[in-house]
Amino acid sequence: MPKIKKSRIAIKIDMTPMVDVAFLLLTFFMLTTQFRPTEEVEIDLPLSHSEIKLPESDVMILTISKDGRIFLNLGSQNLKTRLFGEEFKNRASVEVEQKNLADLLIQARILNPKLRTVVKGDKIAPYGAVEDVMDVLQKTKITRFNLVTDLEKS
Amino acid sequence: MGAVETGQSRSHARAGKKHKKKRRLAIRIDMTPMVDVAFLLLTFFMLTTYFSKPQTMELNLPPDDKATVEVAESNLLTLRVSASNEIFWNMGTEPLQKIDLQRLRPFLLERNKNNPKLITLVKIDREGTYTMMVDMIDELNVAEITRFSLAPMTDGDKKLMDKARAA
Repeated sequence: MPKIKKSRIAIKIDMTPMVDVAFLLLTFFMLTTQFRPTEEVEIDLPLSHSEIKLPESDVMILTISKDGRIFLNLGSQNLKTRLFGEEFKNRASVEVEQKNLADLLIQARILNPKLRTVVKGDKIAPYGAVEDVMDVLQKTKITRFNLVTDLEKS
Repeated sequence: MGAVETGQSRSHARAGKKHKKKRRLAIRIDMTPMVDVAFLLLTFFMLTTYFSKPQTMELNLPPDDKATVEVAESNLLTLRVSASNEIFWNMGTEPLQKIDLQRLRPFLLERNKNNPKLITLVKIDREGTYTMMVDMIDELNVAEITRFSLAPMTDGDKKLMDKARAA
């Protein structure tokens, strides 16, 4: 038995506005995106209620890994080249010995006096390592520094 | 879908005219692959981008460690954190008492209210974890205690904690 077929109406949707918006968003995201900086070691940040934001430039990040090793990230490539040499130019951070840390901090601050010091420690880093780093900071007259934390939600 | 047509309607409209004109070819570009790629990129950028900058906590150290401050014993609250992340507190030279991290905030707020001249000393075992230090400083900041100091833990402190554990 032949069925009576309804003639289908060809639906034409103009996609132009949607595509326009998509491109707009694409441009926006492409321009504003900042890739997560690569790390030499993975750091699991501790939580706090502090809401001060990390400044964008002129920061020197002292990373303390889970096993208490210290990494220094000077931010700009120029500084890295001048302090550690050409081969470290593209590395995110450089592992430093605790005994060399004081000299490096002083040199870095001579090269860029605007540098702010930030300590980024892992949750389970031994406190001893952090205490040593803070001692070095105190000795090199960096008495104001920031600790990087994640925001605690409560 | 996303297709571009050019010239078609125009060339039709003018086709009947006497004026001899080159017939424009109707160009039809299929935009679908381009739009697909655009959406793909859009998704990629939306997922990889991050707006939130990390939070930081500011810490000020005294300019040099030789500076000594005389504090009356009754105004000194010492918080000791052991290697196994237990927290002990005492006032002056009183015996140590254990306290949970969760109960620390109301405790600090109450202490600070009772004695605004309170000086807090935080001693953390070198074997302890960094997160304890951040937690302690954070609790002190939340309780609006700005006058605190960090001191290295001595063997004497460890003995005191052992005593408190045994008691």
